[in-house]
Amino acid sequence: VKLLEPITLGSRSARNRIVFGPHETNLARKRAISDRHLAYYRARAEGGAGMIVVEEASVHGSDWPYERAPFVGDARAGWEQIAQVCHENGTLALAALGHAGGQGSSAYSQAPLWAPSRVPEVASREVPKWMEPEDIEEVIHSFAVAARLAHDCGLDGVEINAGQYSLVRQFLSGLTNQRGDEWGSDKLLFARRILEQARANVLSGVVGLRLSCDELAPWAGLVPDAAAEVAAALSDHVDYITVVRGSIYTTSAYRPDTHVEPGFNIELARLVRAAVPDRVAVIVQGSVVDSGPAEWILSEGIGDAVEMTRAQIADADFGRKVTDGEADRVRPCIRCNQACQVRDARNPIVSCVGNPSSGHEWEDPAIGGTAPIRHDVVVVGGGPAGLECARVAAMRGHRVSLCERGDQLGGTFRVAANGAGRAPLVALVDWLEAECRRNGVEVRLATEVTAAELEQASKDGTRVVLCTGSTRGRPSYEADDDAVVVAALDFLGGESLPEGPVVVWDPIGGPIGVSVAELLASQGREVTLATPDLIAGNELSRTGDLAPANVRLQASGVHLAKRSLLRRVTASDVEVEDRFTGERSTLKAAVVIDAGYRLPDDQLWRETGERLQRAGDAAAPRSVYEAILEGRRAALAVEAV
Amino acid sequence: MSGGRYRYLFSPLRIGPVTISNRIVFSAHLTNYAEDGLPSEQHAAYYAARAEGGTGLIITEEHSVHPTDWPYEKLIHGFHPEVIPGYRRITDAVHRHGVPIFAQINHNGGQASGMYSRLPVWAPSPIADPLFREVPKEVDRREIAEIVAGYAKVASHCKAGGFDGIELQCSHSSIVRGFLSPATNVRTDDYGGSLWNRARILLEIVEAVRETIGRDLALGVRLCGDELVENGTTIDEAVEVAKLVEEQGLTDYINTSIGVATSTLFMIEASMHVPPGYALFIPSAIRKAVELPVVGVGRFKDPLQAERALAEGHCDLVGVVRGQIADADFVAKARAGFTDDIRLCLSCNQECVGRMGLNRWLGCIENPRTGREVDLPPPVTTEPRRVVVIGAGPGGMQAAIVAKMRGHDVVVLEKESQPGGQARLAAVVPNRAEFGDIVRNLHHDCRRLGIEIRFGVAADAETVLAEQPGVVIVATGAVPAAPYWVPAEASEGGPQICDVRDVLAGTASPSGRVVVIDELGFHQATSVAELLADRDCDVEIITPGMVVGQDLGITLDLENWNIRAAAKGIVQSTDLVAMGVEPGKLNLLHHPTGRNVQRDVDWVVLAVPQAPNDTLYFELKERGIEVHRIGDALAPRRAHAAVVDGYRVGGIV
Repeated sequence: VKLLEPITLGSRSARNRIVFGPHETNLARKRAISDRHLAYYRARAEGGAGMIVVEEASVHGSDWPYERAPFVGDARAGWEQIAQVCHENGTLALAALGHAGGQGSSAYSQAPLWAPSRVPEVASREVPKWMEPEDIEEVIHSFAVAARLAHDCGLDGVEINAGQYSLVRQFLSGLTNQRGDEWGSDKLLFARRILEQARANVLSGVVGLRLSCDELAPWAGLVPDAAAEVAAALSDHVDYITVVRGSIYTTSAYRPDTHVEPGFNIELARLVRAAVPDRVAVIVQGSVVDSGPAEWILSEGIGDAVEMTRAQIADADFGRKVTDGEADRVRPCIRCNQACQVRDARNPIVSCVGNPSSGHEWEDPAIGGTAPIRHDVVVVGGGPAGLECARVAAMRGHRVSLCERGDQLGGTFRVAANGAGRAPLVALVDWLEAECRRNGVEVRLATEVTAAELEQASKDGTRVVLCTGSTRGRPSYEADDDAVVVAALDFLGGESLPEGPVVVWDPIGGPIGVSVAELLASQGREVTLATPDLIAGNELSRTGDLAPANVRLQASGVHLAKRSLLRRVTASDVEVEDRFTGERSTLKAAVVIDAGYRLPDDQLWRETGERLQRAGDAAAPRSVYEAILEGRRAALAVEAV
Repeated sequence: MSGGRYRYLFSPLRIGPVTISNRIVFSAHLTNYAEDGLPSEQHAAYYAARAEGGTGLIITEEHSVHPTDWPYEKLIHGFHPEVIPGYRRITDAVHRHGVPIFAQINHNGGQASGMYSRLPVWAPSPIADPLFREVPKEVDRREIAEIVAGYAKVASHCKAGGFDGIELQCSHSSIVRGFLSPATNVRTDDYGGSLWNRARILLEIVEAVRETIGRDLALGVRLCGDELVENGTTIDEAVEVAKLVEEQGLTDYINTSIGVATSTLFMIEASMHVPPGYALFIPSAIRKAVELPVVGVGRFKDPLQAERALAEGHCDLVGVVRGQIADADFVAKARAGFTDDIRLCLSCNQECVGRMGLNRWLGCIENPRTGREVDLPPPVTTEPRRVVVIGAGPGGMQAAIVAKMRGHDVVVLEKESQPGGQARLAAVVPNRAEFGDIVRNLHHDCRRLGIEIRFGVAADAETVLAEQPGVVIVATGAVPAAPYWVPAEASEGGPQICDVRDVLAGTASPSGRVVVIDELGFHQATSVAELLADRDCDVEIITPGMVVGQDLGITLDLENWNIRAAAKGIVQSTDLVAMGVEPGKLNLLHHPTGRNVQRDVDWVVLAVPQAPNDTLYFELKERGIEVHRIGDALAPRRAHAAVVDGYRVGGIV
């Protein structure tokens, strides 16, 4: 297997070609590489990663792009510990070094952004200071100092960021570098000077370059052919190049969610591979989350190693499982971006919907091992919460039966995957189901459980966990008797709709309403998405799908009724109210699909005296992250008295 | 000490066991100064500065009573006993100035998410908050008891930490409000239904807390007088709740608020677009019904307004938060009769309220010390120098003030006949007049400190050198920069094109069909659009972004802007990029679909990024003299950036 073959990177050799790339985690304490980082990277090193590139550290005080962005000046202790733990596990460890330039934030530094030219960042619209020559020299020098520190800490080298959020790329690109001086006439000068300094200061260590090879802004930005020339021109100074894409106008293109098929960087990688000498390794990035496609990329010679970051966020043991021939047991990354994408002012900690302890290695109890006492466990409900509960309980040695009243497992999550662009979600519940069966969970489909049965089981010492999911919510609007209102999940579950125009009511702004509207549009329906927000899918910014979703909705002809409150549904139309002015208007609708809040299905809980353990939506309908987290906790809790 | 013209303001008042020396309260507000759930040194320094500034009473930001309550990252976890040393640090620092300090304790209920706690959110009923959008877990009896016990536990921590009283936030963001309100409580048990049932948890909490703190500490209840939401609590019911609280006999005062901190936050911390004293009807109504002292809040900008609210009998105490964020010495200056010296709050919400929603530390657009009280102020210089500041905008004046206070010899050269630069212009539009206070405040400080500002001096390198500067600070601001698609010369029959600054300065007077292009996402486009709509133009705002005036959401101006825009017939269009003009038309690209669209226009007004006015800086730099550049001359940004730059550079020259 090519993926598992060692690879030479300059003076070092990685044991395999699986790379855990640099990414924002919010695990820093203030700006220090922390104990939390250490626990996070330790798990990936132990789990078999060939090379880990630690979260980027800002090289200079003028850069503080997000509150917990690591800073080189606060990195020493963390880098030393990470180098040590990685080496103990046979993993290479590199420091990512960067400066976000005009794409940073002045909120934390209270100082102007530095950039090659006066180009405002798209999201913040902040105009940067265009750097004076002495500023440029200072930043170059700070890369040198940082590279030396990385070396002194025992790291194997540094990766210089010229990727999506980087000052180095801003200098390389006509989009952001409009200077009339030498730094503008030779756009590669800044990068070259930094790489020279990095090489000189990292001594025998590795120098890598993370390069955006397509800024997706062809009118002035780096286009693939030009990027390949840049790669070739800089190749003398580097041991590897990681091929990425994206820039200021395309923040979601770098690591998109399920709406973009994996493999979008394949052609870019081929171009770069052809342009640089064999001595320089090419690492392929871009939604490669499964070992099969990774192996294909290597066997085709598209690149020499594969960055599989999200795959290892989902399953820290990815490398080990593949090495042990258990690739089918890897917990899949479903590219949902719901918990791992943390570039967000609220500083969420990196995690994974399928593996909620990811990022929380420093605080969460381990789920491995065997329970001291073996219990009989009945889990009611086969959605994500029930599946995770059953899986973990069975893994820990309990005798588990999982009762599901429907004829398939996966609950509302499997149904939600029927929304447009969300099919890959199914892999997670398929994996949970397979793991349950492997671990000996007795799965009973089409099984209604009664309160009396549960009471009896409970009396007999059986541990009962209710994962009964959610039910339709309370409408916040009037509906006539002959009005047709269908819950979004019922529609996604196959309920048929009457002919005619559809209004999708989405007070949440998450993926469900948008995916329903898109699905209907693709079926040729006339669709209006009604939202109280000023933006459709208002909450999608965290996953990176906000702008893409709005483009898709408009391109597919979905009518958007923004700032609207649904007031009344009749047989033929709906009445909506402008959220600000109170003005009412009417939209044609033969049917309304309600993508609003749901209620817990807590009937069994109530009938059993409101004391049995609940997990997930049965306690409060939320996302799959909470369902799996609580399912897991419930499995551990059965061992408490 | 008498209060001079403020007879009511400076009369003492007893609140239970505590006597306060004046009626100004620095009431509870978020600061995001907590670190890892604990109160910080900055907290102590921040409150101590207001105590030193003479405020009558401080009520701290909320302390959470339970792990299920963690709505924002930098919340103080009052339920951990580890908070006590931090409490002690705060109370010692405040008591040093003889000012009492109360702790507010709270559970935010359903107005939260599980993002930080990784626990279900707790609320009376499973009704999602419109901001957090997470369905809460309906609390059962055992959990209600746990919440009540949590209040008592935190109250004991507060007592151990040296606080003089406790305030229960039962108002704008609280599980108690959640129970009180028919909009969020649809329970059918003893805690739902009748008002008495909905108030049950409140009375249980009051009882448990009083039991814990005894009679040595004051106890207050903060109530929401009008939630401003459908089916929510309104003033009549709030008055009834206040009466229930008074009848219970365990509470020493009632505080008030308006709105719900998530759905109607824009009315809790109203910006300058909402009239001062807008929430006074609430304490007024409650005060008529109860004997307990009542606190009124709601954009009290100056001591005179506060005095009048007291004199007219609307309330017994007045909450002045933003006023004391802007000027920690608000009360001392009023008491000393130097009301004009108060750095008036603009109610701009840009760096105080605006930063809370962004998870950043609380600051102030015009007070660079706010949020940095823990740091030492810039030191007095040992080598006084001749400091020449070019430009009397906010940045230049701030630099001059700091340099002067440090002992330098300062002169400011300003090319216009008035100070303020763009900030002065920004205040000429409807509803934005208070923004001009930033200019008044800074200019007043300049005058008070005896800083010479020479107006009408368009400085070039020679002028500056003639001043024999030791150091020069260039604060020359920015100049409008037309985007590439604007023709260099007005084309025949083409729409006239100008910058928002031209409209504000009166050098351009658009008429007829006007398109305002918003690439800045703040007040520039929206306020000029309003100005022109008021002048009977047909106005459309176009933005390449997804929302017009996007950052108005941060300052809580978005709701009222949209209401005003609709009333004035201003059309808002998004996702459109300007591509060029031709006779009578503006060409646009709808970027999500790639469609080309056109507008028939007479005028195009640009709210687009500016260019630094940096010629003088580079000339001086080339001549080898020490020169610093601040504000828009460095990088065109918002007023706060100029003030911060000015403070920093004024502090190091």
